[in-house]
Amino acid sequence: MFILTKIADLVQIAPEDFGKPSLSAIEDNVNAKYANKVIQKLGLFICLWDILWTSEGLIGHGTGLVNVNVEFRMVVFRPFKGEVLVARIASQTREGIHLATDFFHDIFVPFIELPEGTEFEPSEGLWVWKDEDQVMYYDNNEMVRFSVIGEEWHDQTPTGPVDMTDEPAGQRKSPYQITGSMKGPGLGCYLWWEE
Amino acid sequence: MKILESQNALLSNYEVYQHLVDQETRNKANKRRVPANLAKLVTEVITYLRERPGPLEKQEETHAYTPESIPRLLEKIREANFQSELAKGELISILNLRPATSAQLSTAVEDLEERFTEDEQNRIVDIIAEVLGRDEPAPAEGEGEEGAEDAVPSIENGS
Repeated sequence: MFILTKIADLVQIAPEDFGKPSLSAIEDNVNAKYANKVIQKLGLFICLWDILWTSEGLIGHGTGLVNVNVEFRMVVFRPFKGEVLVARIASQTREGIHLATDFFHDIFVPFIELPEGTEFEPSEGLWVWKDEDQVMYYDNNEMVRFSVIGEEWHDQTPTGPVDMTDEPAGQRKSPYQITGSMKGPGLGCYLWWEE
Repeated sequence: MKILESQNALLSNYEVYQHLVDQETRNKANKRRVPANLAKLVTEVITYLRERPGPLEKQEETHAYTPESIPRLLEKIREANFQSELAKGELISILNLRPATSAQLSTAVEDLEERFTEDEQNRIVDIIAEVLGRDEPAPAEGEGEEGAEDAVPSIENGS
């Protein structure tokens, strides 16, 4: 679920941070820049893991910033294909089930990836798994296991001024979306698989 | 910014959890304020990792996971000499999910039934319980096997 990514970056320490020990100043700087951000094709950055190397601090002309080249490793949320994760059912529609973890909310399980015999119950707005004479509900807020089958990346780079005369374009797509499957033994609400 | 290596290492949930908890304790002791985006995210990740059915739910009380448990688990599995080897990703999944039955094990291990005999599956589950602990007392033997055999799993205990 988590990986380490090695990055080299220029860290600029502002004079107000000179009171901190250098390593703390670098750590805060890196975390402020990367934590809770998605970088395309890499994943959601969580926090700094360790600092591998730093250069001497250099002050340029015109500013009081100390420039340090740093090599460091970051903890990144990037589940691999086929990995099984636990998440909570956030909402359900005819198209499928939206899942969320506490820190990551863009997980979608399309209806074709639900077990055979699963139907949408429009009156309740829930998906129901009917297996022989058993009826089981995918309740909202239930913890489920799902396996990762795909990921989608949407670049958030602005494209230019929006034409105000047009209807507002549809909702912005999330930068990193995971597609999951709940078809297969052990997947679905975890309570179904408890002994 | 330059990416030197996009995937330097795989981490198990336990390692990330421990890193975050240590970092929080350290910061609290030194009364150090971290950037707001980090503080929020760290709280959320820790909450997530402590959630049921995650194996770290009671970590603070039981200390079931220790830095030594990872090498110990790998060694035990190697010693058991199974007919098929577990891949790195599968071992990470085992550490993260701590499967307690063959049915749960099949989510962590690909093609479980083709690669391991039923006996071996049960032995893997036993090794996991021995090294990493488990929530409930050992389940009855028959139930675990049943779950592994059925393509569409039995759901008597579903409600």
